[in-house]
Amino acid sequence: MKLEGVALLGVGMTRFASHRARPLAELAREAGLAALADAGLSFREVGEAFVGYVHGGAMTGVKIMKEFGLTGLPVTHVENASATGLVAFREAAAAVAAGRCDVAMALGFDKMTDMMDAAKGAASRGVGRDQIDSVILPAAYFALWATRRMHERGTRPEHLARIAAKNWNHGALNPLSHRQPEHRVTVEEVLASPMVSEPLTAMMTCPVSDGAACAILARSDLARRVQSGRPLVTVRSSALQSERYTPGHTFVGPVVGPSSMTRDTAREAYEQAGLGPSEVSVALCHDAFANEELEYYELLGFCAEGEGEKWVEEGSAELGGRLPMNPDGGLIARGHPAGPTGLAQIHELALQLRGEAERRQVPGARVGLAHLVGGGSVCCVNILCRE
Amino acid sequence: MSAPAPRPRVPIEPGFFTIPEAGEAPRLLGSRCRSCREVFFPRRVVCARCLAHGTEDVLLGPHGTLYTWTWTHLPLFGSRRSDAGGYGVGQVDLPEGPRVQAVLAGPREAFSIGMPMELDLEVLGENRDGQQVVIFRFRPQSDGHPA
Repeated sequence: MKLEGVALLGVGMTRFASHRARPLAELAREAGLAALADAGLSFREVGEAFVGYVHGGAMTGVKIMKEFGLTGLPVTHVENASATGLVAFREAAAAVAAGRCDVAMALGFDKMTDMMDAAKGAASRGVGRDQIDSVILPAAYFALWATRRMHERGTRPEHLARIAAKNWNHGALNPLSHRQPEHRVTVEEVLASPMVSEPLTAMMTCPVSDGAACAILARSDLARRVQSGRPLVTVRSSALQSERYTPGHTFVGPVVGPSSMTRDTAREAYEQAGLGPSEVSVALCHDAFANEELEYYELLGFCAEGEGEKWVEEGSAELGGRLPMNPDGGLIARGHPAGPTGLAQIHELALQLRGEAERRQVPGARVGLAHLVGGGSVCCVNILCRE
Repeated sequence: MSAPAPRPRVPIEPGFFTIPEAGEAPRLLGSRCRSCREVFFPRRVVCARCLAHGTEDVLLGPHGTLYTWTWTHLPLFGSRRSDAGGYGVGQVDLPEGPRVQAVLAGPREAFSIGMPMELDLEVLGENRDGQQVVIFRFRPQSDGHPA
């Protein structure tokens, strides 16, 4: 989807962490009010809202939106697993582009701690056993992807550990990151952490996080008027694709999906934005597991196929490298509560493109890309620019 | 399975695999498109490739080739397998076309990409009616004795 005249006016988020004692509505309110304050707008001016969450019953989003006031605005629920936040963002951008409203809100929230507690409770009651889809957990599926790459390309566990260590160390520079190590995380430390699913160790996987994040989108001319003193960040394109059938496709389980899904979705996003991967200054990707980020260097077009390992060895994706990836810590450090994850990526891109990312600022960042996959079955890629 | 199950066996979820008599190999329940002949697991009505309506039922396996695998230390839903030091998970390419993800049977040292595999059943536990709940898995093919 090509987007013209849609600006990112404000962002806000809670720190991603284990917020067991804090209700979901409180987290969502904190993120939403922060985004409205950043945009310089009142909730009365929001014309439409898109709420994203994975864990929660019907109408959870509409109920939580009442925290901001009851203005009668249309509220739509969005759920696309890990990609939920980026898809809510896409829908809000589309609502503005279509002229349905001048200002739209995308709000994501989730408490993975609640989800894990519920799963444990279900397991102890002997339920949740009767579905063949849920027998094997996601870490194993992504590990299968890693093992195959090691076989084909000679990838070593050290490559994956270096990506994970990078993201942990990026997280140390982000006050809103779940994981904020107090020392420099090393490759050796990542490799020595408990094995989850070979070759993936615990430190190569994302934590169990809670949190909320929000973005406010508006017509560019309106944004120029209310924020004359700040660099204007616009949304250039948003692409969303589901799986295309390929030979050897797997249908059972929370599958990784064909790798072509990320390549095809990114290609669409670049074409619609009128930009190429070489013009991207900073990118965020779905690094729930470290080997994913390695694959996405290639699939997002940042390096040639088969050169991902070299890209790691050269430190290209580290802050100070050719194209910093996940400067906020990514899913591995910043956290991945699911619903708000994509909006945390948008939060980071807003700071980077405005030049407000402080110790993790990518100098002169002008084009930003946010990528997520959801349930292995959808991919969403958004491209934002500083005008 | 080292010995025939003494109690009735039921699948973890119906519609995915057969539960044969002792001594016979289980098969996977698949579909073949009547139009483009593409084969799928599990069963489906509309062809995912050519979108034609109408497929025919086929039995798949029991043999395949290991495409990739991992050794997992997370609990397997419905059992306490991780307590025993982990278990294998893999993707097996069937000669009919589909790639199937499943739990693997055997020790960590048993697996390598490209090796021949065969289908097997594993008992996950017992249900309230005293029936054994089983799931399909793959194990390295035993020489000379195709299951």
